[in-house]
Amino acid sequence: MAEPSTNQMAACRPTVAEALDGLFDPRTIAVVGASRTKGKLGQAVLALLKSNGYGGKIIPVNPSGGEIEGLQAGRDLEEIDGPIDVVVLATPVGAALDALETCTRLNVKVVVGVTSGFSEAGDDGHENEERLRKIMQDAPFRLVGPNCEGVVRPASDLQLTFSPMFNGLRPGPVAMISQSGALAGLMALRLGERGVGINAIVSSGNETDLTAAHLLDYFGNDPQTRVVLCYVEELRDGRRFAEAAQRLTRAGKHVVAVKGGRSRAGSRAVQSHTGAMAGDDRVISAVFRETGVIRARESVAAVDAVTALAAGRRPAGNRVCIISVTGGLGVEMTDLAESAGFEVPVLDEATQTALSRYVPFYGSVSNPVDLTGVVLANPTYVGRCLEAVAADPGVDIAIAIITFVPDQQFIEALAEAFDRTDKPILIVWTGSARSNASGEALRERAVPVYDSPARAASGLAALAATTGEVT
Amino acid sequence: MTHRETLENWQRAGRKVVHEADAKSLLQRIGVPVPRRDPANGRCVAKMCHDDYPHKSDHGLVRLGLSPDEAKQAAAEMAERFAGGTALIEEMEEGAVAEWIIGCKRDDTFGPIVLAGPGGILVELTDAAEIRLAPAAPQTAQSMLRSGPGARLLEGLRGAEPADRDALADLISRISVFFAENADLISEIEINPVMVRANGKGLTAADALIVLSPKADEQENST
Repeated sequence: MAEPSTNQMAACRPTVAEALDGLFDPRTIAVVGASRTKGKLGQAVLALLKSNGYGGKIIPVNPSGGEIEGLQAGRDLEEIDGPIDVVVLATPVGAALDALETCTRLNVKVVVGVTSGFSEAGDDGHENEERLRKIMQDAPFRLVGPNCEGVVRPASDLQLTFSPMFNGLRPGPVAMISQSGALAGLMALRLGERGVGINAIVSSGNETDLTAAHLLDYFGNDPQTRVVLCYVEELRDGRRFAEAAQRLTRAGKHVVAVKGGRSRAGSRAVQSHTGAMAGDDRVISAVFRETGVIRARESVAAVDAVTALAAGRRPAGNRVCIISVTGGLGVEMTDLAESAGFEVPVLDEATQTALSRYVPFYGSVSNPVDLTGVVLANPTYVGRCLEAVAADPGVDIAIAIITFVPDQQFIEALAEAFDRTDKPILIVWTGSARSNASGEALRERAVPVYDSPARAASGLAALAATTGEVT
Repeated sequence: MTHRETLENWQRAGRKVVHEADAKSLLQRIGVPVPRRDPANGRCVAKMCHDDYPHKSDHGLVRLGLSPDEAKQAAAEMAERFAGGTALIEEMEEGAVAEWIIGCKRDDTFGPIVLAGPGGILVELTDAAEIRLAPAAPQTAQSMLRSGPGARLLEGLRGAEPADRDALADLISRISVFFAENADLISEIEINPVMVRANGKGLTAADALIVLSPKADEQENST
């Protein structure tokens, strides 16, 4: 076969935007390595894709052909007629590279390489890595991965992954880019539990072609994305990442990033003080701060930050009102809010009067507001009080703290209070697992709900768009 | 000769660290104020500048508070001990209210960056320096002088006069632009200390260092 010239190849390589548009809303997906054998990657990928109700065309590819998961399988990618938007590679590395080579002769937009065994495998993966790079040099398609956990997009019922950690997510404003599949799974599961909507998740793996910076830039231009959550260990094109982040944050979007593998200043000899003073980790913190990226210390703190930002409400200032059904939790929340630079001011007199209809004499209508156990017999009280403090012109953010909840009305009243204000509301619910109530009304509104004051404080810090570190 | 030609010549000559006297000559050409050389009167400093000894005071190569004649004599003595160096006699800066460090380097992740913070012996407070991407606009440089623990030093502690922040911000921006434009030839540039005078009175670069990048062919070999 005559080799097409490099120029022709490069000319038909899709741009990042074309490739990712195709990836997130594909008409045709080929799963190389699709299998009937439980425990094989390709079996899991195909099963998850089908069980999540993906509506486009799925073509399993397996040398033995026949029917897999009720679908007619091709023996080889070359048997497939017409364009293929996405090819998933879920075979051992040798077969994956053969399939990738075949893709260079077909009309493929993007390949997702779940397969491992490249640079991450050290010396053993060296030859595979070389071959991969050679194929990608002028491939007419783009590559996600390899060594990644895949791609998920709830709005397209798309699950291109072998991991069940991404099941049951709602569509929404959060995009996730992760160099670790397992951390993407952890963060997705927790965001899902809180009802936070997900636009797309990309486990970017080794980033041989498409990098975190490419993806960040793409999500910046995507009107459906409001918050981007990143887990990165090595920023391959850090400058592009920083510039993309700056464009996003200037446009009012948010980037929350966890940088794994913190290190001290490089050990190599330095000639100047500058070298010693600008250690890797300090530079990352400084550049993130400069470009508006919220740096989270670890993945759960990042989820807490994203939970608050995804609700889409921005505070006008740093004045927080805390209402609590118990004194202790109110005190702890107050301490955390103040040490994070927030004010917990005395409430307006009219607000205090309004609150005194609900709060008994042994409680407190100053800030933090202590409602006491009276709420157990009056399930709508916390909601009413939340409404009253959110209406106070001296309050920018309201936090309601509840423990166990005896009655569904309790939660409905909180949801109503959330609907009646534009101000950011955070809820600390320490006893959701010990309650006779469902949090669904809160989840469907994406009300930020935390299980402790410390976790809520991470959300609070992100809300203030304090572009520093979230702990 | 353009600045780039000067840098390329140094690189071709196999220099890695460019000593203070040469570094200052180049920086002066891009508008960095440096102390008056070979003054006829006043208090002087004599230094021996040598690529192999960038940390001069560790080797006894800086003599302060001399008369012009004493400085000439000190320079001659040091020249005998360190062959191949360049003697530098400068007017001593007496009117500074703050000492600052300005440094640039290529970060492995983000490329050119610029750093500024308390200088002189205070560089040991490494956490006090502010870091930004280079080139930094004058406005960004201003923000570097208003953030972090160093900001209060420039405002003037306990009734001291505030430092000339506008001149310092201008210098930070100027150095960061020069570095970013020549980051293929320079791997690090450092001015430490910048002697900053009171507001409106400007500043002067008391010491400077340029570290050159390896030549392109050497870079390939090293990776």
